[in-house]
Amino acid sequence: MAEEGAATQGGAEKVVHTYPLIRHSDMSEEMRTEAVELSVTACEKFAQNNELAARMVKESMDKKFGPAFHVVVGESYGFEITYECTTICYMYFGGNQAICIWKCS
Amino acid sequence: MAPKKIPSPQGSSKHRLPDLWRSKSTEKSLGILLKRLKQKDAASKSRGNLIEDEALEWLKPRALIKPDDQEDVPEADLDEEVGRVLTTINPNWVADEVAYHYGLGRFVAKPKPTFGKAYPLYIYQGTAIRKDSEEAKAQIAAGYGMVGFDDAGPKRAKVKKSAAEEEEEEEPEPEPQPPEEAKAEEDAVADEEKPGEAVEGPHEPEPVADDLEATAGDVGEEPEGDEKDESKDTGEEVLEIKPRVKKLANQFNFCERAALTYNFPRRSVDTQTIPPPRANYGSTALQCIIFDYYQEDYARKQREKEEDKPKRLRKKTAKHVKSAQQIHDEQLAQRIREAWTILERLVNQNIYDDIAQDYRYWDDPSDEFREGMGSLLPLWRFQFEPMRSHAVCDVQWNPHYQDLFAVAYGSLDFTSQQKTGCLCLYSIKNPAYPEYAVVTDSPVICLDVYKETPYLICVGLYDGNVCVYNAQLTLESSYQYKSDSVRDKHSNIVWEVRWGARLIDGESTFFSISGDGRVVQWAVMPGELQATTIITLTSNVPPIPGPDGTMINVNSCGSCICFHPEKPDIFMVGTEDGMIHTCSLKYNRNYVRSVQGHHMPVYRINYNYFNNSIYASCSGDWRVKIWEDGREEPLFMFELGAAVGDVKWAPYSSTVFAACTADGKVYVYDLNVNKYRPICVQAVVSKKTKKLTRIDFNTRLPVIVCGDTKGTCHVLKLSPNLRVMCKPPKKAQGVDQRTLQIMKLDKLLSLVRDPPYQTGVVDEKFDDD
Repeated sequence: MAEEGAATQGGAEKVVHTYPLIRHSDMSEEMRTEAVELSVTACEKFAQNNELAARMVKESMDKKFGPAFHVVVGESYGFEITYECTTICYMYFGGNQAICIWKCS
Repeated sequence: MAPKKIPSPQGSSKHRLPDLWRSKSTEKSLGILLKRLKQKDAASKSRGNLIEDEALEWLKPRALIKPDDQEDVPEADLDEEVGRVLTTINPNWVADEVAYHYGLGRFVAKPKPTFGKAYPLYIYQGTAIRKDSEEAKAQIAAGYGMVGFDDAGPKRAKVKKSAAEEEEEEEPEPEPQPPEEAKAEEDAVADEEKPGEAVEGPHEPEPVADDLEATAGDVGEEPEGDEKDESKDTGEEVLEIKPRVKKLANQFNFCERAALTYNFPRRSVDTQTIPPPRANYGSTALQCIIFDYYQEDYARKQREKEEDKPKRLRKKTAKHVKSAQQIHDEQLAQRIREAWTILERLVNQNIYDDIAQDYRYWDDPSDEFREGMGSLLPLWRFQFEPMRSHAVCDVQWNPHYQDLFAVAYGSLDFTSQQKTGCLCLYSIKNPAYPEYAVVTDSPVICLDVYKETPYLICVGLYDGNVCVYNAQLTLESSYQYKSDSVRDKHSNIVWEVRWGARLIDGESTFFSISGDGRVVQWAVMPGELQATTIITLTSNVPPIPGPDGTMINVNSCGSCICFHPEKPDIFMVGTEDGMIHTCSLKYNRNYVRSVQGHHMPVYRINYNYFNNSIYASCSGDWRVKIWEDGREEPLFMFELGAAVGDVKWAPYSSTVFAACTADGKVYVYDLNVNKYRPICVQAVVSKKTKKLTRIDFNTRLPVIVCGDTKGTCHVLKLSPNLRVMCKPPKKAQGVDQRTLQIMKLDKLLSLVRDPPYQTGVVDEKFDDD
C-alpha cells in the first residue's frame, strides 16, 4: 500500500510519500479501512477535482454507514468541526492532500 | 281524476299480453304520453298523503329538529304542488330550422319530426319492482314493503294467491314511478302498444273498483277487516308483518339527526433519545504540515522496519556485522595470543630457568672420571592435561624446528582403550602447554612429520584410518585429509606411518602398515587420500579352514615399517610374528628378503644414519638386534631385560643408539665404546606404573625425548660421554666428521663380521630386475 516514489537528488535523500496516512481517527477499524480506501479511490479518480472526490467519498460513506457524512478534500485549509464520536477520520493522501471525513446530523 | 284514464293501457295490455304485466320490462315500455298522465296522478297522491298526515297528526308526537339557519318557508308554499311534466315536444327542436334541399336547389324548412317517433334520450335501468310481483310479495312477506307511516302496531298482511291478478291492477296508483323510470326500453314494443290502448279503453271500470278496494285495504285497515278477509278466504296465508315505517321525506323540507361523541382531549407525549456523543476537532491542513507529518511517519516506519525484521535476517546481518567485528577481534586476538605466547614462554623460561640453563650449559662433570660411561640428565617433562591417561604412542622431533616435537597420544593398553586420541606439538621453549593440540576421535598410534613441509603430519589411528594434519590450520578444521572409513581404511590398527617419496605426478605419498597385514601407499590428492595397497604380508601359516569350508589365508600382521634412507623403493617391514621382510615397491607379492629377526613382534626398525646397510630392530622379546643387509644373523644382539619399545640410532654418531624399555629405562649404547654393554642405563620413569614407549634423538641438539604410557614426554640431555665425536687421526686431519663416523663403523663392523661381508647384495638383486 505504501508506494514510495523515491527521487534522490544529489545524494540528499528526498522521498515523495504518496501513501494514505491517517492523522487522526477514532473510527472503528472496519470503518476506517473503508474510509481510507474510498478516499484513495476517489482522490485517484478525481485527481484534478477535489469537489467530485469529496462528493464521491461522502455519497459512498452515506450509503455504507448512514447519512450525514461530511467530507472535505483539499490541499490547504483549516477546520474546526463537531462530529459524532467514532466517525471522524482526518488523513493525508498523495503527499499533498488532506481529507477530513466526519459525520454529524 | 287520473285513475280513470289509466286502466285503458292496462286493460289492453292485459288483454293482449296478460303475462307481461307482471314483469318490470313490460312496465318500462309504456309510452311517453302515458307517463305524463301518471306523473299527474303521482303528484295528487303525494298531496293526498300529506293531507292524511295532517289528519293523523295527533297520533304521534311530532318533533322535528330543524337546523337554526334553515330558511323559513311558508306552509302554503310547501303545500304548493309542483308538477313535473313530460311533453312530447323536443325542447331541442328548432322550429325554423332550414336545410339545403339538393333536389330543389334551395333552402327549405326542415320538416317537423313525425309524431310518435320517439328517441330514447336517456335510459335508466330502475331498481323498483312491481308490488304484485312474486319478488315483491316475497319481500313483503319478509317484512319489507311500502306502508304508511301511520300504522304503528303490528299488522297482518294477507297474501292471496288467487287474487294475484287483481293486485296487479292496483299497482299504477301506489307506484307511479315505474312507468316514468322505465320510459322505454324498446321502441318497437311501445309502438305496438299504443294503438292497443285506444282500442281497449272500455274495459277500464272493473279494475278501478278493485283498485279502490285494495287501496282502502292498504291505507288504513282495521285488523277486523283483515280478519274478515282471512275468514272469507280460507286458502289465504296469514302473515304477521312487523310495523315498518318508511318515511318519505320532503326533499325540500327535511331534517337530519346526528349525534356527536365527545372528542377525546389530545395529549402529546414525547421521549427523546440521548443524542449521540459529539466531539470537536480542529486542525489545519497545510502543505508544510502534511510534508512534515509524512516525513515523521516515514522515519517511524523505517525504525519499525528495522525492528520488525525477521529475527533470522537480523541475526544474519548481525552475524555479518559481527564477522567484520570478528575479523577485527580475531586479528586482535591473534596478536594478543602471540603476545601471550611470548609472555607464557617468558614466564615458563623463568620458571624453568635452571632446566634451561642445564639444558644449555650443564655437562655432567662426573663423565670425566668414569671412562666410557655416561648419564642422561632429565630436563623438562611435557604433559597435556586432557591426555593424562593416554599413552604416548609415538614421538618425533620436527625435522625443521629443533625445539619442536610431535606427540601422538593413544593407548597401548588394549584391554581398556581410550575413546579419543590427540596429536600435540610441543616446543621445549614452553613445557607447560602444547603449541598445537588436536583431539581425534580415535587414539593416535603413530605419526610422521613430512620433511619437505614440516607442518604436515600424517597419523595412523587405532581404528585403521590415516589422516594428514596441517599444523598451520586452525584447530577447527581438525584434519586436512582423512582416509575413507568405508572404502579404503585399514581393518586393523595402523602401527606405523612413514612419508615416502613423491609420486611421478608430484603428489606426496605416505605409507602405512597395519595389523591387517597390508602396506598401503596413500597419495595425497587434492581433497582426498588415494590408497594403493603395496603389499600384503603373507605368513608361513598354512591356510586355515574357514567356517563354510573355504580356506582362509592368514596374513602376518605388520607392526613397523622403515624405508631405506637412499633407495626410496626399498623398505623393511617388521611383523608381529618376528619376521623382518625387506620389500620393494616394485614387487607386490614377494619379499626381497625375509629374516626371522625376533621371536616376538618387531616394534621398530631403524636404519643407521651413516651406513645404509646397517639397521637396528627391537622387539617384544626384550632384544635389540643390529643387522646388516644380506646377512641372516644379526651383527649384535642385546638383551635388555624388558620389552623394547623403540630403538634409534643417534644422528651424530654411527655407533651410538638408544633404546627404551617397558620397565622405564633408557639404554644408550656406543658400540665403539662397548660392544656388549650399554654405556648408559637410566631409569626415567618408575617401572611399576609407567612404561617407556618411544624414544627419539634430536637431530641437532644433544637431547632425546621419550614418551611413557601416562602421557608424559621426557626430554633428557645426553652427557658428554654419550656424544663423543670422533677424533680425526693424525694422518688425515682434514677428514670431516661424517667420513670419520663411517670409517669408525666400518672398522667396527670388520671386527664383528664373521663371514666376510658380501657387498651389494640388495643392489645385485635389484640390478637383476
